[in-house]
Amino acid sequence: MSNSDQSHMKQDCSNKRDCLEMLQLILDGEATHEQKEHFLKHHLDECLPCYKNYHLELKIKELLKTKCCGGQAPSDLVEQIKNKIGAA
Amino acid sequence: MELEEAPKQHYSEEEKQNIFNNEFMPHIHSMYNFGYRLTLDADDSKDLVQDTYLKAYRFIESFQKGTNAKAWLFRILKNSFINDYRKKSKEPSKVDYQEVETYYNSEEVDRQITPDLRVEALKDMIGDEISNALNALDVDFRTVIILCDLEGFKYDEMAKILDIPIGTVRSRLHRARNLLKEKLSEYAKQMGYKTT
Repeated sequence: MSNSDQSHMKQDCSNKRDCLEMLQLILDGEATHEQKEHFLKHHLDECLPCYKNYHLELKIKELLKTKCCGGQAPSDLVEQIKNKIGAA
Repeated sequence: MELEEAPKQHYSEEEKQNIFNNEFMPHIHSMYNFGYRLTLDADDSKDLVQDTYLKAYRFIESFQKGTNAKAWLFRILKNSFINDYRKKSKEPSKVDYQEVETYYNSEEVDRQITPDLRVEALKDMIGDEISNALNALDVDFRTVIILCDLEGFKYDEMAKILDIPIGTVRSRLHRARNLLKEKLSEYAKQMGYKTT
């Protein structure tokens, strides 16, 4: 999957919708080994729209993880819960 | 994972405290984040998370030690949100949602929604764009993205948390991501990226 030369790649994908679903399965860790082999090792090398989509979906997933996660629960909430349970 | 259906366990008081402290409390930050993303309000989120933990303790004997505590807790939180919070806030999205999902399930829409978004544009979204785009989605679409992309749940776990078939998890996730990309394309346009 090098992106050095894209000129030999297909500029259009006849199966875009199914491919998009497949690459989401792969990124979500839900695809089988065979599905992954086929898609990542063969299809992505020859299909420009899917290659681009793959990197787009990957980037969105990364952004969601880094920008929308990692907040801490307020410490007073943690204390309140512990107090209520301790007193139960 | 159903609170009432699970075979009841018998725990001593000490065991209950141990499960609560060692298996439930470590998820407090994810739970707060989930609550916040659902309600979009810090105080509501605190109430929702506290209610959820109190319920989890009350029904602790429906939880089997060593099983997936995070999924179990998320399911209780999601149900509390639907039953208590949504009713109170009279949020109309429950009704609208059916229409929305029918609409987005139609093949026609799939052809229309092909957001042309570039990775380069995303690289410049270093502020709250992605967070705002997520928050702007209808709550049911937002939820599947939170569970999958933020929290890393598997499809079968999501199906149990949401009480829907795995096929619906997949299709809803697919629609949700298209809608998110639409929002992100709007931001990209505002930032001066050409999306054609």
